[in-house]
Amino acid sequence: MVASLRDNDELQLNAYCDGELDPVSANEFERRLANEASLKARHARLLSLRQAVRSLPQFDVPATLQARIKSSLDAERSSNVTVLRQRRWSLQALAAAAVFGAVISSSVMMTIEQYGQREGVANQVVAGHIRSLLAPQPFDIASSDRHTVKPWFTARLPVSPQVPDLAAQGFALLGGRVDVVGQDPVATIIYKHAAHTLSLTTLRPGQSVSEQTIAGYNVRSWSDADFSYIAVSDLPSTDLATFQRAFSAAAPAPEIK
Amino acid sequence: MSVVVVQNKDERAAFDEVFLPHLPEAYRLAQWLAGNASDAEDIVQEAALRAFRGIKNFGAVNARAWSLTIVRNTAFSWLTKNKPRTVVFLNDLSAAEQQELEYEGLHGARIETPEEIALFKADAEEVQKALAQLPVQFREVIVLREINQMNYRDIAEITNAPIGTVMSRLSRGRQLLMALLGDRR
Repeated sequence: MVASLRDNDELQLNAYCDGELDPVSANEFERRLANEASLKARHARLLSLRQAVRSLPQFDVPATLQARIKSSLDAERSSNVTVLRQRRWSLQALAAAAVFGAVISSSVMMTIEQYGQREGVANQVVAGHIRSLLAPQPFDIASSDRHTVKPWFTARLPVSPQVPDLAAQGFALLGGRVDVVGQDPVATIIYKHAAHTLSLTTLRPGQSVSEQTIAGYNVRSWSDADFSYIAVSDLPSTDLATFQRAFSAAAPAPEIK
Repeated sequence: MSVVVVQNKDERAAFDEVFLPHLPEAYRLAQWLAGNASDAEDIVQEAALRAFRGIKNFGAVNARAWSLTIVRNTAFSWLTKNKPRTVVFLNDLSAAEQQELEYEGLHGARIETPEEIALFKADAEEVQKALAQLPVQFREVIVLREINQMNYRDIAEITNAPIGTVMSRLSRGRQLLMALLGDRR
């Protein structure tokens, strides 16, 4: 009886109980569960084990712990301040020098800062793309159905982009994920072109970056009324341009009412 | 100087916002990993200090997973340093033993968990003892899953293991737990 169970049944059973199977596999598994008595028994047993573990009395945080932490952080802070006090003179001199410098170069600095921030954005978007390629899958929600991906974004983000499937143009919709750029969670749509993965990150408008190559990935960026888009892929830049045209044609910005 | 103090205040505020809300969970995890209250307190205090020092690196993604990762790592280094004998890490075992412990029950010889042991009564003391007996790598995934109720992805992040390993450790750990509880009756 035991031997008849498939090798990965145990894993599937666990994943099912933990709510980690995708809907299709879960459905399939439930059908098997209804038909196979042995699997059903294991399922019941696993649930009762879970119940037993979950109903263990919880350890409560000792009332003194938060105070202990607070005082250890206070100690940490005062040691920082002491170090700084020894350097106070030089800091004052620096501050004075900085005031002169600041007046002259503030406009230049603003430009550089803005530029730096924007290129920082490109770096973060590329980092998101690279991270996604290292993960088991490059998306949080896998679906080639834009009616699945779009609501998924809508449920998670204050604003969500159009999610066109561009399979007809050679860019098949793979899914979506949420990246973090700066402090903001943003929607990234993932497409597949031949064997290449393309991440399209959508930012608030006015954040487009220059066309460039970072860590071997090509970056192409454009804006419409609602979003700035940054496409990242190891595809040649001409293909990225093709993608941009296809995307812009398929996802016209909704008219402003 | 004033600039730095303000920054320090911000760090403190960030710490209060990011780490402190998860203190109860942090403490629970530490207690399960350490096995007693006073070690757990030391671990959480050290983890809090590490979190505070590293608060600038917090990427605003998942404060809970970030905080618990620090607690978990602190617990491991703390235990290795202070209680090296009480914890058996998988890495201390020979390759064959590791292989057996991690995989055999899944793909090779199954642990005998006869089906007569159908249901587990929630006898808290027994369950707690059995859980405490599990090798720490199995215990931590079960605690993170059942007590902290984290999903696989977060567990993988916290334990710094691939999701596949998390899955097999969970499955294997639960089987070990069943075997331990089964033996007691």
